[in-house]
Amino acid sequence: MAVRREKAERLADEELMPLVGRKDPEAFEVLYDRHGGVAFSLAYRIVGDRAAAEEVTQEAFISVWRSGARFDAARGSVRSWLLSVVRNRAIDFLRSKAGKAPKLDFDDDSALEQRPAAERTEEEALRRETAGEIRGALGKLPGEQSKVIELAYFGGFSHSEIAEILSLPMGTVKGRMRLGLEKIRGELAEGLA
Amino acid sequence: MNGSDHIRWSEDLAAYMLGALEPGEAAEFERHLEGCERCRGEMRWFEPAVQTLPESVERQKPPRSLRENLMAEVRADVRPAKKPSPQWSWRPAMAFAAMVLVVAAVAGYEIGKGGGGDEGASTVVSRSHGITVKMVREGDGGTLRLTGVHQLPPEKVLEAWVRREGKVEPVPALFVPDREGRASTQIEDMSGVDTVMVTEEPQGGSEEPTSPPVVTMSVPQ
Repeated sequence: MAVRREKAERLADEELMPLVGRKDPEAFEVLYDRHGGVAFSLAYRIVGDRAAAEEVTQEAFISVWRSGARFDAARGSVRSWLLSVVRNRAIDFLRSKAGKAPKLDFDDDSALEQRPAAERTEEEALRRETAGEIRGALGKLPGEQSKVIELAYFGGFSHSEIAEILSLPMGTVKGRMRLGLEKIRGELAEGLA
Repeated sequence: MNGSDHIRWSEDLAAYMLGALEPGEAAEFERHLEGCERCRGEMRWFEPAVQTLPESVERQKPPRSLRENLMAEVRADVRPAKKPSPQWSWRPAMAFAAMVLVVAAVAGYEIGKGGGGDEGASTVVSRSHGITVKMVREGDGGTLRLTGVHQLPPEKVLEAWVRREGKVEPVPALFVPDREGRASTQIEDMSGVDTVMVTEEPQGGSEEPTSPPVVTMSVPQ
């Protein structure tokens, strides 16, 4: 039998991962109970729909279950690794959805075909951006910085796509991303001081 | 690595960490990263800021069905559906098992209490086929630890089996060796178990052994 639930609950995430790698359901269940909430919230924040977020979260956790041995403790915590798996799945979901059915956003199919790619992307960007409220550290940033970070991290857009959406030079987009992260990092450092 | 080269790449660092570089750019950046300690240092510094982003989302309560469906899939993965007859035996593997038992008997067992980081637990050690097998008994259960196990093909896992009152039962926790050839699994209920065996099985495990045992160990009562 796998390790008992009570025993698994006493283990740190990093100790649970080898058990998950050995296909221990109890260890995996504890991992889900610890991080499933934030994982679902992140998926929901990105895809903007509960049913889709459920699908994305389940797929992400199943991929962790089937490849648990790939976790590398030297590259960060289990939680941040898990959340990066969820984010990647959610962004993939968004991209596949946009690729398959962008016409749903418009009444006139022929008009869609004639619209430039950047314009279609902007519609999508707005939809993604309004899916949730900017909170926490992001909310304290100047709008121009939080916007590029939001579009990149939660929208899955590349810096060149963001430059196109916002009609900015690519260098400006990269600069704002860096400034934004520097400010968040500074806030965190102050909080620790 | 000169300064201007670092500055050029440094401009891409935040975009890389936010997943906003194109795949080709990201691969190029990663190659640079391998040789640039300054960029790696900056990445380490930025890491907490990026980790804040997923934590900053408004919390949503996951639907109960998510947990239920997820665990149903996980448990189905661990144990394929049982066959109608539970009265199977490990006869197909017995001939080989018998041979390995002889090897184990010749090699002998070391039985002791405590030591080796397992204070208070009774241990049984045997060696066969270049594999050292250690069974650490703790309470009703035990941990089976193997060293010297060869690397498995990706589609294979190790599965342990216990024999109790003449019947063979699979141990649900499948396991694989690490890079150093160490592998271990938990056996929750060791009461009445007289023999432990390990076989290589396909991913997801098997209902009965499908290959000769790589390890067979008699467990003193």
